[in-house]
Amino acid sequence: MNRIQRISILLVLAVVSMASSCNKPEETPEFDKASLLVNFSDNLIAPSLSMLKMAVDQMEADFVEFQSNPTQANLDVLRNSWKEAYLTWQTVKPFDFGPIRDYGFKAATGTYPSDTAKIESNIAVGSYTLGSASNIDAIGLHSLDFLLHRADALSYFTGDANYMTYTSDVIAKLKSETDAVTSAWAAYAPTFKESTGTETTSGFSQLVNEFNRDYELVKVAKLGIPIGKQSLGIQMPEYLEARNSGIALDLLRQNVLALEQYYKGNSFSTGQSGVGFDDYLLHLERSALDGTIADNFSAILAKVDSFSGTMENEMNSNPQGLDELYTLMQGQVVSLKTDMTSAFGVLITYQDNDGD
Amino acid sequence: MLFGISRFLINGWVEQLYIEPTHYFTYLGFDWVRPLDGNLMYAPFILMIIASISIMLGMFYRWGTVIFFICFTYIELLDKSNYLNHYYFVSLVSFLMIWVPANARFSIDVLLMPSIKRSTMRQWHSGIIKFQLSVVYIFAGIAKVNSDWLFEAQPLKTWLQAHHQIPVVGGYLQQDWAAYLFSWSGCIYDLFIVFFLLSARFRPFAYFFVVFFHLVTWYLFPIGVFPWVMIFSTLIFFSDHFHEGILNRLGAVNSRKKKTPLPRPRKFVRTALLVYVVIQLLVPMRFLLYKGDLFWNEEGFQFSWRVMLMHKEGHATFYLVDKKTGRESEIQNSDFLTPTQEDQMATQPDMILQYADILREHYDGQILEFGDYKFPIDDPEIRAEIYVSLNGRPSQLFVDKKHDLTKLPYNLAHREWIETLKE
Repeated sequence: MNRIQRISILLVLAVVSMASSCNKPEETPEFDKASLLVNFSDNLIAPSLSMLKMAVDQMEADFVEFQSNPTQANLDVLRNSWKEAYLTWQTVKPFDFGPIRDYGFKAATGTYPSDTAKIESNIAVGSYTLGSASNIDAIGLHSLDFLLHRADALSYFTGDANYMTYTSDVIAKLKSETDAVTSAWAAYAPTFKESTGTETTSGFSQLVNEFNRDYELVKVAKLGIPIGKQSLGIQMPEYLEARNSGIALDLLRQNVLALEQYYKGNSFSTGQSGVGFDDYLLHLERSALDGTIADNFSAILAKVDSFSGTMENEMNSNPQGLDELYTLMQGQVVSLKTDMTSAFGVLITYQDNDGD
Repeated sequence: MLFGISRFLINGWVEQLYIEPTHYFTYLGFDWVRPLDGNLMYAPFILMIIASISIMLGMFYRWGTVIFFICFTYIELLDKSNYLNHYYFVSLVSFLMIWVPANARFSIDVLLMPSIKRSTMRQWHSGIIKFQLSVVYIFAGIAKVNSDWLFEAQPLKTWLQAHHQIPVVGGYLQQDWAAYLFSWSGCIYDLFIVFFLLSARFRPFAYFFVVFFHLVTWYLFPIGVFPWVMIFSTLIFFSDHFHEGILNRLGAVNSRKKKTPLPRPRKFVRTALLVYVVIQLLVPMRFLLYKGDLFWNEEGFQFSWRVMLMHKEGHATFYLVDKKTGRESEIQNSDFLTPTQEDQMATQPDMILQYADILREHYDGQILEFGDYKFPIDDPEIRAEIYVSLNGRPSQLFVDKKHDLTKLPYNLAHREWIETLKE
């Protein structure tokens, strides 16, 4: 052994002993990614999917009832179960990976704004392939906002057989895809639970990436675009989600609430708390960051709750309030996407790469 | 290399990186390097496959090396979002191989043109490649001598904890001492391995370390083909007897030793070598000319063998400002950039300016229509608010919205508009 080697070994030893001796005395909470993935799969994703399935089944049953007896009362029942399904969808949409991604479920279910001209021409022609890429903005939960909630909706249903058929086809497609994705998730779950690696294709990386992507999507699509953030301050109400039914704020709230609960690892169906991103941050001794993120979520939800009208009402009467909500949401992006993600050692990227 | 390029083709990266993007981040001074149209972009990759086979077999070797070097370098110059140190290394070595007659013995060229056969080579032929490898290791080692690496064990602490799931060792990887152990031994390895490889006595021992070290990094970190490149490249440090031994065992050889005397290297060759060596030594040192934190500002960062040194994550919001009305719009970065480009751009000042220029060019002279309103955009301002987290620090402001990025110069001078890194 020569001198350089001897010195280097001494140095290493010195550092190791120094590092272990100045270990902080306080306990860091235990954490492992496998239990987080198990919690997400068993208590968050699978229950959300089965709640969605129940909601869609209910909507379908109510539609069958409405189809045989198209009254205003039955339409109202159908509208209600549609709203329930749409709200439940907000708890599924952050999980755009695995079977949900493979089936293109997020795009097929949640694309908006709808192309109402395309919907009307599909109905007029009476023949269409709902699964084609060009029809992506003529299907899904959002197309039902138009079909069920446009002015004089009932008279369209009673006056035009094609209108009823088209609605029926849209709901049937939603139902068959929800069923398919729900059972595909059950098959995929074991793979997901073991996928704790750091590569960009691992279950954990995808979970973190899609969580961030969905958060940004809420900020930009549900709020930013309609209130004019991408149009030199000119409001764009035609980009509002569910404009006919006026539930844009409810959907936004439910989406943020879902993300908050998932951050904490809480089950949406039972409220039971489990291993979430917050536990990982505490384990990494980043309790300040955890506090910031939790406070931001609370502040955003409190702000949403302070509005009394629909989002369109608020755009007219209280644009300042929506602007403040946007600023709150923008601040949270940095905490989640930059701080939390880099603390986890997860790369924000949606493609594989060749390294450093 | 054949493997590396095939990997590129099989994974569909050609499409993703060189056909899909609508904008490219060129290197300063290489703006004229543009991608080929559509699927023509596959041509240089196919040429490289043919060239690497030709180099391996030693068939039309010199043509192979020239074509390989040109294609590879061309592709690397297209977009700096894809910059990797090992790509730069491959470019340099393929350039050197043009001048080294590695086809002079066990090659098909020798069968075709027996006159070029040599059983010996000049010392500089392998020497320059050894030099290049030494530069990689030693500068990588020097780069690790910084306080984040040695005293915070960052970014390794962040990267290693993410591996807590690995059986047996996973638990240890979460400990602080493991991160320090990896950091310090990595630094010492990079700094001194070359000297052990150069000494005949320690060489087998050192090579064992090379293989071990690179296998560990390959297992733990997403660094692609780099470990394999280094494991095989460092074989050049072994003596010719060693290589002949392997070739003998493979049954490839005639052991007739015909020492052909070689003419003295020309003066031109000596000068060229000297220039090359000086450039390789100075380029990684250029960061000394800049003020401020190297990792934060990234001035003089690339082409300097700074491997695995940074964990940098950023979020950039760009704004278009119409001067006439003072109104502003947020830019959707994904409308202009691929995810990789967006990710790289958010933390690299030169790319931030290039992106601002892409945006200015896109919007200048456009009439934007929103509802009943029309905005003729003339010479718009482009601003950005960017937050970056570096090596485990909480994120902090990187670029302030107060700067009109279109007014800032894109050159090699120090960039005053980057906020100062606060510890």
